[in-house]
Amino acid sequence: MTFSVNRRHFMAGGAALLSMSALGSRAFAEDARLRLLWWGSQPRADRTNKVSELYKAKNSGTSITGEFLGWGDYWPRLATQVAGRNAPDVIQMDYRYIVEYARRGALAPLESYMPGKLSLGDFDPAQIEGGSVDGHFYGVSLGANSASTVLNTTAFEEAGIPLPTRTTTWDELGKIGAEISKAGKRKGFFGFADGSGNEPLFENYLRQRGKALYTADSKIAFGADDAAEWLDMWSKFREAGACVPPDVQALYKDTIDTAPLTLGKAAVDYAHSNQFVGFQAVVKDKLTLTNYPLIKADSKGGHYRKPSMFFSVSAQSKALDQAVDYVNFFVTNPDAAVALDVERGIPESKAMRDVVAAKLDATGKIPLEYVAGLGDLAGKLPPPPPSGAGEGQTVLRTAAEQVGFGQLTPADGGKQIVDEITRLLARG
Amino acid sequence: MSNAMHTTAPDTVRRGGSVVAEGRFKRLWAANSAGYLFLLPWLIGFLGLTLGPALVSLYLSFTDFDMIRSPEWVGAANYVRITTADPKFAAAMKVTLTYVVLSVPFKLIFALLVAMALNKGVRGLTVYRAVFYLPSLLGGSVAIAVLWRQLFARDGLVNAALSQIGIEGPSWISHPSYSIYTLVALSVWQFGSPMIIFLAGLRQIPTDMYEAASLDGASKFRQFYKITLPLLTPVIFFNAVVQTIDAFKAFTPAFIISGGTGGPINSTLFYTLYLYQEAFGNFRMGYASALAWILVLIIAVFTAFSFLSSRYWVHYDD
Amino acid sequence: MTNGITAPVSAPPSDITKRSRPASIVVHTLLILASLLMLYPLLWMVSASVRPENEIFSSTSLIPSSIDFSSYVRGWGGLDITFGRFFWNSLVISVLTVIGNVVACSLAAYAFARLRFAGRNFWFAIMLGTLMIPYHVTLIPQYVLFLNLGWVNTILPLVVPKFLASDAFFIFLMVQFFRGIPRELDEAAMMDGCSAWRIYWKIMLPLSLPVLATAAIFSFIWTWDDFFGPLIYLNDMNTYTIQLGLRTFVDSTSASDWGGLFAMSTLTLVPVFLFFLFFQRLLIDGIATTGMKR
Repeated sequence: MTFSVNRRHFMAGGAALLSMSALGSRAFAEDARLRLLWWGSQPRADRTNKVSELYKAKNSGTSITGEFLGWGDYWPRLATQVAGRNAPDVIQMDYRYIVEYARRGALAPLESYMPGKLSLGDFDPAQIEGGSVDGHFYGVSLGANSASTVLNTTAFEEAGIPLPTRTTTWDELGKIGAEISKAGKRKGFFGFADGSGNEPLFENYLRQRGKALYTADSKIAFGADDAAEWLDMWSKFREAGACVPPDVQALYKDTIDTAPLTLGKAAVDYAHSNQFVGFQAVVKDKLTLTNYPLIKADSKGGHYRKPSMFFSVSAQSKALDQAVDYVNFFVTNPDAAVALDVERGIPESKAMRDVVAAKLDATGKIPLEYVAGLGDLAGKLPPPPPSGAGEGQTVLRTAAEQVGFGQLTPADGGKQIVDEITRLLARG
Repeated sequence: MSNAMHTTAPDTVRRGGSVVAEGRFKRLWAANSAGYLFLLPWLIGFLGLTLGPALVSLYLSFTDFDMIRSPEWVGAANYVRITTADPKFAAAMKVTLTYVVLSVPFKLIFALLVAMALNKGVRGLTVYRAVFYLPSLLGGSVAIAVLWRQLFARDGLVNAALSQIGIEGPSWISHPSYSIYTLVALSVWQFGSPMIIFLAGLRQIPTDMYEAASLDGASKFRQFYKITLPLLTPVIFFNAVVQTIDAFKAFTPAFIISGGTGGPINSTLFYTLYLYQEAFGNFRMGYASALAWILVLIIAVFTAFSFLSSRYWVHYDD
Repeated sequence: MTNGITAPVSAPPSDITKRSRPASIVVHTLLILASLLMLYPLLWMVSASVRPENEIFSSTSLIPSSIDFSSYVRGWGGLDITFGRFFWNSLVISVLTVIGNVVACSLAAYAFARLRFAGRNFWFAIMLGTLMIPYHVTLIPQYVLFLNLGWVNTILPLVVPKFLASDAFFIFLMVQFFRGIPRELDEAAMMDGCSAWRIYWKIMLPLSLPVLATAAIFSFIWTWDDFFGPLIYLNDMNTYTIQLGLRTFVDSTSASDWGGLFAMSTLTLVPVFLFFLFFQRLLIDGIATTGMKR
């Protein structure tokens, strides 16, 4: 029997050797090499690579490797790379995740680089705030956007109904929606998409009432009755046929191509303003943007200008200074601004905005004018969301679906939302 | 089974005790070496590349691990939470079990029927076989999600066909009560893999057995029952076990069709999708590891049971 | 059955053919209907690849309003890296995988099916156990392991495990098939003085062409369609495989190129299909009789 055991020991030992072989034999020469990771599709990649070329021209000896993926694949790849201590130097970040990564120490704080190496002087101060977590600055905003309502102007014209305006209230929208559905100009067509499970929309509603989603110290900032009233409002819309039925809304998977407006089921939908170009590309009809409906005609402060996405620098990066320099170039260089256009959002730097505004086409101008024209519809930026906020989004959507499909009453739905969010915030 | 290059006469009596050991050693080597030599690649792979990560993942299941900071030991807390306080776990189990129980039998039945139909040597066999395998080629492509929606949404083609016979269908794919069935349909539609395996198995049955049986006057049905089925049992067993394991582990269909949400209302929340959400969406890798090992346990129990029961109905030629 | 016998004896055969013709018509009809069901998605995809982009989601008919092949052109050359490169990368990985799987798994399967050795049942159970582990969970530890080996950003993590028989599915499959081959053949060979290796090489493998062809086909297709492995291990876009390349067409948050996606998806079916057609001949020509005419 000794032989077999020896053999097994040998194998085990060999395997262990193999696994432990290079606990530190990684020696990447990264003095002038930057790795960049972002999400987006080819158009964005083209623009980003152009900026990298411009940067390389000015900083010879730097090599920049750009990697990109679609949104859905991006996060597992990033998580794995961070977990494996193999993170890229410059990371594109999203509002929802920046908190998670920053709080866990995966991102490098950047405030020490300002104002010298990071000249964000003419940025909207709220956007600097937007990229800060717990007092440190982690994300340079690549563009501003705001939540918005997308309108299918062609469908409205067909039905002979005037478009919603800046001051349209929810009640009025309900009536408009019901009329569009009744006009029956298109098969299976309704007034607006069912936004009961849409977190930005709900947040806007809360803000108009003086509430919010979360407080600065990571607690829930609304009550069960707020949520119940919200769900109840939507139940009434459903009954009146003003919005799409729940099974059509359930097709929506947070992507442009599954939105009721894109699928030709609704004349009104909800999106971030920088997604406008994407929507117009897949919809034959003419679209435009307006703000979310108001609770009362004189309501203010529901919206906020938020960074559409950030560039952050990995805390594990071996080329911190270089990475910061690249990011600075990205957002403050006029040639870069022209290459990037408004594809990631409206440039934060006023100087860049001016450069870009002159070169936009009609479709590109719409989001720019929308965000610029928000005025007092926009209020203060909310505090960074607590850990677990992403799950909160799911809680809202699930409860909204349950109410939609008749499994819960609005009152119970409201209670469920608050209970579950409180529980998941406590879980930490 | 010795490596019989030469006869090993019992030569242990030559020199006292040590030779006894030596002879035994030689015989053990002779008896086992062939097996282990053939198994070597797999053993290296398993010990080097699988065992380590599997053990690490087992360790992680007892920790709180967000992938960025170091794991923090929490004992059995994850397991306790899963089994007592996690409604999503219960939902995921229910959805997955439904999927397994429905998709596997139907898939296997279709696969076997079509394989048998094709095995007869119908004209255009190659074309049919390729066509039936086509859905499996489309696998997890993004196109499937769009396509399935075109088929099963309220105004989709399935309802268009149903309305011809007067039935007005709901939106199958986005209604919490029916969405799981569209996933079952997707799985059954991709029956190409087990079909090919059945075909290969049918091909291995000697045709002279059928000839002999025909000569004896046996009907086609009797031939199927007495020849085909018993000789096919190893392959049936294989397909049943593997398809069931795959169904338990299924991820891609739910991921692409529900857009990673498992919705509406968790009605398409496959177990591994839930695992994926916890790991990559909520930064709870430790919890996800615990979920994974519970799945392994469930599958292991099922597989062990299958193997034990296989003694009674699977017919090997050796 | 002899020749030259009169009507009563020849009646049963014609009776049989009469009975089987309606049956075969039914079978054929069913097969054709089923085939249409199988083909529909492909037709839809091809249609989507040639129609205007803003029609893809709103129209349910198969007939495009206009035909335009620009999606193919755009999809092929539109990325910085032409799709041809992705095809090549996928091809390399898939072919290596096929070789690795067929060789390594058949070796292991032979050991499990035919050889007796201490601990065989134990290792067999372990092998099956590896089938049960969902890959998302060993993902991070394996990633760290490969990172320490310096294999990340190469195709090694995707290919080397195949040469080490990591796909237990194929081992199990081959075991079942090997066990179906009569042992008398082995025993006869052994009495002639053949070693285990010769039996494997000269008897087992030739008789197992159907299952080896099956394994080759599945290996190829699954590797071709796999995206998660490449997603994690291939950072450099020059090394992306087809599936990874396809997914860069679609980003849910910005403008996607759906036409390009469907065009390239249609194209990527071609090599897989060819591979399948080529190897499936072995499934037909494979041993219908296992030499058992004794």
